[in-house]
Amino acid sequence: MRITCPFCGERELGEFTYLGDAKPQRPAADAGEDAVYDYVYLRDNIAGVMSEHWYHGGGCRAWLKVTRNTLTHEISAVEPAAGAGAAKVGA
Amino acid sequence: MADFSWDIRSPLDRALVAGPYGAQGEAGVSLTEIRDFDLVQVMARRGKAGEMMKAATARFGVAAPETPKAIGTADATLIWSGPDQFLVLSKDGKHSIEALDSVFAGSASLSDQSHARALISVSGDKARAMLAKLSSIDLHPDVFGVGAAAATSMDHTSVTLWRGQDRADGQAVFDLLVFATFAASLWHTILDAAAEYGVTIGHSEDLA
Repeated sequence: MRITCPFCGERELGEFTYLGDAKPQRPAADAGEDAVYDYVYLRDNIAGVMSEHWYHGGGCRAWLKVTRNTLTHEISAVEPAAGAGAAKVGA
Repeated sequence: MADFSWDIRSPLDRALVAGPYGAQGEAGVSLTEIRDFDLVQVMARRGKAGEMMKAATARFGVAAPETPKAIGTADATLIWSGPDQFLVLSKDGKHSIEALDSVFAGSASLSDQSHARALISVSGDKARAMLAKLSSIDLHPDVFGVGAAAATSMDHTSVTLWRGQDRADGQAVFDLLVFATFAASLWHTILDAAAEYGVTIGHSEDLA
């Protein structure tokens, strides 16, 4: 499998580290225990198209959001995760 | 208190043995460790990438790389190392961290990497063939021309690889920055990969 880093171009899998599901969003501080439990522990095990976080640690060290089909490994989109290139996130 | 002073030496001081190595005859690969350089990591602060680029242009007379490239100036090389960050490679304190401190004040964070990396220059007829064993980057001249750069891995070790100016005899030069503590390990791997082509090994104080 190869991932096309938006900063570096197409690279082999060995340069990347997998984090996991990119969907969970940190709940608000007053969201309650169930929401926090869900955010911290519960994950969907998707057979199909999934949004994932990958880290290009063996290259430009940017975090990426990769849209990948877990059945076919087909990658349909790769974009910088929020925070990749600190200067690009707000002022 | 006893007097103490640091013994400054290259991370390849022990591993590097100058002279021929591997197959006999004309060497296919030439390895030169470059010593005694200044290397500064420049990384834009949040929302300040534009300011950092302006400061770099004012300082170096050329725009700093925003894509994987190495840009040579009269007395420095600016090497892309990731989004909104680059390395400044120079000599004799011209662009040391002390010299750049005021240039990027407020726009970028600086980190002195002068003694944190080893710099290996690879050339020779078989340089590409040897590097192809270690790297998944396409080094064909049509793809990886003079000034091309990559933040990548070789033998599971992060490296910054770029193509410098060709040698006087027209041969391509590949420059390689590797973490000091990984330098000896990568050096041995490179020697293994290069042995079949014959190697000539040396070190130099010149960036060229």
